[in-house]
Amino acid sequence: MKILILGLGNELLGDDAVGILAARVLKERLKDKADVVESSLSGMALLDLLVGYERAILIDAVKTGRTPPGTIAELSPADLGAVAAPSPHYAGLPELIATAQALNLDFPKEIKIFAIEVADPHTIGRGLSPTVAQALGKLIPQVERQVAQWLK
Amino acid sequence: MTREIVIDPITRLEGHGKIDIFLDAKGNVERAFFQVPELRGFEKFAVGRPAEDMPQITSRICGVCPTAHHMAATKALDDLYKVEPPSAAKKIRELVYSAFFVEDHALHFFFLGGPDFVVGPTAPKAQRNILGVLGKVGLEIGREVIGVRKQLRDLISLAGGKVIHPVFGLPGGISKALTKEDQEKFIAGAERAVKFGLFSLEIFRDVVLKNKQYVEMITSEAYTHRTYYMGLVDEQNRVNFYDGQLRVVDPNGKEFLKFRAQEYLAHVAEHVEPWSYIKFCYLKDVGWKGFVDGPESGVYSVAPLARLNAAEGMATPKAHEAYIEFYKTLGGKPVHHTLANHWARLIELLYAAERMHELANDPEITSPNVRTIPAATPKEGIGVVEAPRGTLIHHYQTDEKGLITKANLIVATQNNAARIAMSVDKAARSVIKNGKIDDGVLNLIEIAFRAYDPCHGCATHALPGQMPLIVRVYDSQKNLLRELRRD
Repeated sequence: MKILILGLGNELLGDDAVGILAARVLKERLKDKADVVESSLSGMALLDLLVGYERAILIDAVKTGRTPPGTIAELSPADLGAVAAPSPHYAGLPELIATAQALNLDFPKEIKIFAIEVADPHTIGRGLSPTVAQALGKLIPQVERQVAQWLK
Repeated sequence: MTREIVIDPITRLEGHGKIDIFLDAKGNVERAFFQVPELRGFEKFAVGRPAEDMPQITSRICGVCPTAHHMAATKALDDLYKVEPPSAAKKIRELVYSAFFVEDHALHFFFLGGPDFVVGPTAPKAQRNILGVLGKVGLEIGREVIGVRKQLRDLISLAGGKVIHPVFGLPGGISKALTKEDQEKFIAGAERAVKFGLFSLEIFRDVVLKNKQYVEMITSEAYTHRTYYMGLVDEQNRVNFYDGQLRVVDPNGKEFLKFRAQEYLAHVAEHVEPWSYIKFCYLKDVGWKGFVDGPESGVYSVAPLARLNAAEGMATPKAHEAYIEFYKTLGGKPVHHTLANHWARLIELLYAAERMHELANDPEITSPNVRTIPAATPKEGIGVVEAPRGTLIHHYQTDEKGLITKANLIVATQNNAARIAMSVDKAARSVIKNGKIDDGVLNLIEIAFRAYDPCHGCATHALPGQMPLIVRVYDSQKNLLRELRRD
């Protein structure tokens, strides 16, 4: 099974780096099981990256203000409508999936999103805040479990 | 009582954005603002780093136009080390840059701005998206949009390393030459891109220009501002994205200024408003007169329409034909209608594709001579390119070892900020009457904004400070009524 792990975000922008940093750790740990890609792209531009995979995991920072920083939410694309002020990286993911279906593209049948609530995604060069850095440690095994489940 | 409406987030805009509209007691617009979140700390982050890192660092600021930042930074390094890249290196840079322009403009027209026109400005919200566009133009064209973009992005990777963060620009040239095999791939990609550009313009003619209602909207006063325009031009005053001089025309289309990027501080100044983190650029030679248009106001515009207005033509044959048709249809030069940006964007897409084709076929493109080694002691460097969203300037100062002591970026959305603010305000005034507000009306306001393809990812980075995002509401005497904090 072709699985894509997509770490989204901006490595320069404080907590927005969390998805990218997760991808770097997972690249090593999942090297025989999945393709792990880092990207700062957003919206429809992600289509190029997802085509050709059967399953995909997106890892990204969110700032909903509804949960404490460091909270990890496991979402499906259908949940995104309910997320307030989601990251711009997947504003339009439901639209993107519908487009792929309409065009009959070879597209993941299942997409999981791991969204990490962050504190400051706007300060260049600040690095991760402590709570988000801790969450990164919890996130890695969660992603690995999901991949193992798919490969079962 | 002042009522406040917030459109947030702006659907489909890349990066965050926010529009605030303030109503008076009768439900008419008192004033509308667009706002952006602040990206903090860029300058502090840059200081002390080697200047050579700037093409990589600045291209990571934002995922939307990394290639533009990479190119502006690389050109600033040429200037910093006073080194002239070999001709082949310049051509390869421009070739890659042209491929980037085609794929970026295609993304905007079909996926972001296109829904407004191809589907229709007052169509239900659920249809104003890429699916609605596909419903109108057909699935085959949808597949071609995705296919051509993928091919071009692969080409950028081939020449530039990574498409997201290109690594090929160096002071005095590029990191690797193109092989004969690479050249073949670029020629094939360019041929497909030219066809794509031509049929995109056909779609525009069929769907937009043949629809009287859309044309009336494009040319309506609600979406018109008579400002100055700025863009890079070559030595024959034709549009150029990669190099040349900055030319400014006045609201009557007459040349007002022409200068090298290195002289930008003599001509461009920044105005600060209490309600925005963004600094509003204006022409020093005219002066800041507020958010008004006309020859007395220093407000100017960049991006596709501005580039066409600031030039006297396109440097490739088919794009030049389209250029002539554009002005003939819209009543001569300059065109002041904001929504004409969409048409101008497609003319530029065709130009970029044709230019890509010319450069890919240039025998020199496979020359191994792609680097001049810099020898001068660095001090100060300024580089300019036209980003898809408008003029982009990088300005660095360094110590004698080449470590950054000061860095400033003037990004496209900053150049356009004053006119965008005016467009949002004017559109809001013209469509909101007596408190009648619905989804369609709100979209008519967003349409004004979206035509510029504004990206706020990097527009506010250069500002110091740690202020959270605050929305303030004023009454007609400028008394603060409410303060909304959003962080």
